[in-house]
Amino acid sequence: MRRLPTIALILISLLCPLFVYVAEDIPVFGDPNSPSIKYVKVFSIGADALEDDLNRSVIPNSLMAEFEKRGFPGPSRVEKDTGVEGEWNGFVSKEEMHYSREEKYYWIKKEGDNLGVYRYAFVVRWIEKGQRETNTPNMVTYGLADYRGYDTLGETAVIFTAGVSVILLLRRRGRL
Amino acid sequence: MIPFIQLFSLYVIIHGASGPGGGFQGGVVFGSSFILYVVVFDITRGRKKLPESLNTTLSSLGLYIYAGLGLLCIIVSSGVAQYLNYGFLPFTSHFEENRAVSIELVEIGIGITVMAIMISIFFDLAWKEETGSSREE
Repeated sequence: MRRLPTIALILISLLCPLFVYVAEDIPVFGDPNSPSIKYVKVFSIGADALEDDLNRSVIPNSLMAEFEKRGFPGPSRVEKDTGVEGEWNGFVSKEEMHYSREEKYYWIKKEGDNLGVYRYAFVVRWIEKGQRETNTPNMVTYGLADYRGYDTLGETAVIFTAGVSVILLLRRRGRL
Repeated sequence: MIPFIQLFSLYVIIHGASGPGGGFQGGVVFGSSFILYVVVFDITRGRKKLPESLNTTLSSLGLYIYAGLGLLCIIVSSGVAQYLNYGFLPFTSHFEENRAVSIELVEIGIGITVMAIMISIFFDLAWKEETGSSREE
């Protein structure tokens, strides 16, 4: 009888450090620059002489080759981030039919001697361009009904299925 | 009281685009107004207000509005747009305006389905059998 509580105690004490580690790993709540909210790291590259090119809005060939080697779409335009030294935004031309617009896609940042290349998370576009793209002021609504339309269609189908199954199980007169 | 609750739920659905609210919430509020009617009056009178056939029709109608709107995008743009890409619908001349209008329509569809399913589940749970109700107890 004493074995089960002992095993449970060991498991719980093993879980505690795990939870502490996970809680330490979560970005600070509300921090707009936390990695999972704003960007995902793609690669980093040596910064020698690339910085001047980027400041003149020229895309260096070595950077372009690095993008192609990793299978990412190369940026069509690079622009200096307003007001911040050593940060650039990379734009990508979207190839969507009737809706080809430039997307802010890469974020290039100087880190010591290297240039870190990050990819913007979808949330950045959601926040910055959503109202202009959908003409709807409520961020939750255009997310729910437009950007995540498939998801909401599935949710509605789930509710419909729940109702139909209750009809089939509980309505004993045997017709819909 | 019930008309006011229904008016409020319509307000919640219509203003889902500009304030807090949306199809799910508004549908639940609308359904709860019918449930309140049944609780206050009688279940048979409530069933007369909203017959069974109409209830079932409404519950699938909302889903049809949603899925049909998505399919309409493909049909109107003759296969260029993806499913549920609202911008191609010919409601207005602007791509963004189309999306705004379609969001409203989709919310209304969600609201109808949620409302009808809420009422349907409530009636199925609360319905007493016409014959042999005493046998079960």
